[in-house]
Amino acid sequence: MKKLLTAVVGSMALASAPLAVSAEANKELKMAFDSDPVTLDIHEQLSGGIMQLSHMTFDPLLRWTKDLGFEPRLAESWERIDDKTMRFKLREGVKFHSGNELTSADVKFTFDRLKQSQDYKAIFKPFSSINIIDDYTFELVTSEPYPLLLNTATYIFPMDSEFYSGKTEDGKDKSAIVKHGNSYASEHLSGTGPYVVTERQQGVRVEFERFDDYWDTESPGNVGKIVLTPIKENNTRVSALLSGGVDFIAPVPPTDLKRIKRDDNANLVTMSGTRIILFHMNQDRVEAFKNPKVREAITYAINQEGIAAKIMKGFATPAAQMSPAGYQGHNESLEPRFDVAKAQQLMKEAGYEDGFTITMMAPNNRYVNDDKIAQAVAAMLARINIKVDLKTLPKAQYWPEYDNRAADMMMIGWHADTEDSANFYEFLTFCPDEDTGAGQYNAGNYCNPEIDALVDKANVETDLDKRAAMLKEVEQRLYDDAAFVPLHWQDLAWASRKGVQIEPILNVMNFPYLGDLVVE
Amino acid sequence: MTTATVSRWDRFRESFFWYSFKRDKVAILSTLVLVLMVFAAVFAPLLAPTDPYDLAQINIMNSELPPAGLDGSDPAFPLGTDAQGRDLLSTILYGTRVSLLIGFGAVVLQAALGILFGLLAGYLGGKVDSILMRIADVQLSFSTLMVAIIVGAVFKASFGNLMFGEIAIYMLIFIIGVAEWPQIARTVRASVLAEKKKEYVDAAKVMGFGTPRIMFRHILPNTLSPIFVIATVQIANAIISEAALSFLGLGMPETQPSLGSLIKSGFDYIQSGSWWITLIPGLVLVVLVLVINLLGDWSRDVMNPRLYKG
Repeated sequence: MKKLLTAVVGSMALASAPLAVSAEANKELKMAFDSDPVTLDIHEQLSGGIMQLSHMTFDPLLRWTKDLGFEPRLAESWERIDDKTMRFKLREGVKFHSGNELTSADVKFTFDRLKQSQDYKAIFKPFSSINIIDDYTFELVTSEPYPLLLNTATYIFPMDSEFYSGKTEDGKDKSAIVKHGNSYASEHLSGTGPYVVTERQQGVRVEFERFDDYWDTESPGNVGKIVLTPIKENNTRVSALLSGGVDFIAPVPPTDLKRIKRDDNANLVTMSGTRIILFHMNQDRVEAFKNPKVREAITYAINQEGIAAKIMKGFATPAAQMSPAGYQGHNESLEPRFDVAKAQQLMKEAGYEDGFTITMMAPNNRYVNDDKIAQAVAAMLARINIKVDLKTLPKAQYWPEYDNRAADMMMIGWHADTEDSANFYEFLTFCPDEDTGAGQYNAGNYCNPEIDALVDKANVETDLDKRAAMLKEVEQRLYDDAAFVPLHWQDLAWASRKGVQIEPILNVMNFPYLGDLVVE
Repeated sequence: MTTATVSRWDRFRESFFWYSFKRDKVAILSTLVLVLMVFAAVFAPLLAPTDPYDLAQINIMNSELPPAGLDGSDPAFPLGTDAQGRDLLSTILYGTRVSLLIGFGAVVLQAALGILFGLLAGYLGGKVDSILMRIADVQLSFSTLMVAIIVGAVFKASFGNLMFGEIAIYMLIFIIGVAEWPQIARTVRASVLAEKKKEYVDAAKVMGFGTPRIMFRHILPNTLSPIFVIATVQIANAIISEAALSFLGLGMPETQPSLGSLIKSGFDYIQSGSWWITLIPGLVLVVLVLVINLLGDWSRDVMNPRLYKG
């Protein structure tokens, strides 16, 4: 009898568990980032801000853990069928914010949409098709054996196919992806994620509320409401935290790390990052940039160590290549080359001793100290008689300009979406190609088909040593060619008030898993 | 000719103006400080150790050095350096020059417009008066900063940054000058209304002088003291407006810092140790505006006929 009673009580406890969790999620979190998401359409733009939004309002098939392993999310399990096919099993009973239930059809809808997205199609290029087996089983098929299949699957956030299909009142397709336009998807959102967007005023605030029917009832998260306020000024953002106005801020400017450490009520988390910050030199806009000597001169004129030490306060690692240490393509022999005399010499050899004038653009609220870095680079270029017309603008205005390649030198920071070197090359140095999406963020229009072919070859190489050797060669050749101006890998820092346990939910990708955040 | 100059000088030395100046320590001190600052600003290229506008001279490795006397300071930079490695002393000298130039330039423009419209409105009266004063009312109902922000943003967008950098100083003079003319016009109009009923104006009319001659040669000299007072205050205002605009990022570009843009560039660092980037230019700005205001106050007291020797 006693046994039976325990069983009954146990099952009651189990049955009431979901309710208990949602009832507990009553904490409010005020957070301040340097900017708010520019759109609600997660396929419109591939950027850190949109990925953060995706992790709040959607769930991926699987996600990275803190130690760079994989953790199942909407996909319950997966198994390899053959060297080109992976079979996934979806979690059952997962609901979208709209109330629709998640099935394989939603995954297919999302997969097809990703293949159309300007920003994502290059990542999904190795995938040839998706086969639906039943409502909760599907297979991803690649055209060649692809070593990074699971890495890429972390980018599939199933979207609500029913919600995003059909026509709006004025006859527009609801599923359309419009860059910097007012599409249906950029203003409406239905995902499976822990939070529902309840109010959004671009550039002012975004409010999220915990989704009552969230599938992950085991999530320890107890935050019921999140208010995200963009605060562009570094100093103001830190002051907002220290004065108790907000509970969680990111990024933390390097100048204020000490100040936060000193404060007893604040909690600082730092990680050495893998995001490369670099400048492209647009060869289509400036004739001189076609000359490798001029490009080399620019890389010689820029003092990466100075920027890392002074502007970043040592909160960055000076870079001479794109792959950070630990990546397969990281080539130890490459070092920052700073030598003003050599740079002047190269300019002379190239016949540009008297220099020329160029335009430069950089965001002012996207990367840590981005506008100050751009100013310093402009000053360094003055040494080799290159006069710079610098414009820094907020990221909401910067990305449209970036897509138009509106300046001769443009700044970009890149974090490899697949945590792999090849991703850098595919987006930043491949010959730009609208159809395949290759070189989508290559604002330099640098084009070397030989290097591209080498990367493609490395991508189907399953022998890791051979693959690493190929990627290292790519890095070396890009260095010799001065294809771009690498600056540094930016470290990451977040801060919260004591009691907001951010440490467990942060990771080197800078995707805070806010659904699991515990606030005391 | 020589005798005329001497006698004018003598007349000045005999005047109440000079008499009360000699007795007012605040006025003497303010004048001294102002003259010193103007001198330093005018001769900035000779006095400054480096040229802060030449980007090729600055080195990032010198950034955020503290002023002399503090830990880690470099004797080459007596007031320290800013976040980009510029010598603060040179930058402040050049910045004061920009601020003063904008202050005086804007007030000259304001005075030209204000005196012209004020005289016309006051002397001619009637429709001209109504129209000009209604324009002034409309203009006054916009805040100067708002007009300046809109005009500045439009110019910046249409000229590109490099071009804007070259014309920024003239733009600011123009914007601040045009936005503030009604202040002077109203003062002038009020004085003209009082003056034009006096006998000497009637006498000039009887003698057959033309309207322009009466306005500029007879009435204007008698309205100069209030103009002089208001102009001093307006110089201080113009300098503050410029600093505010530059602080908001719509004034002088960061490559040619004025006092306002210098204050802004140090703002990120004020609470994290490098206080001097904001504080020193801030002090210079405060002192500059303060002495101009003190002088303005003093001259108002002296020139006010009701307070005359009383």
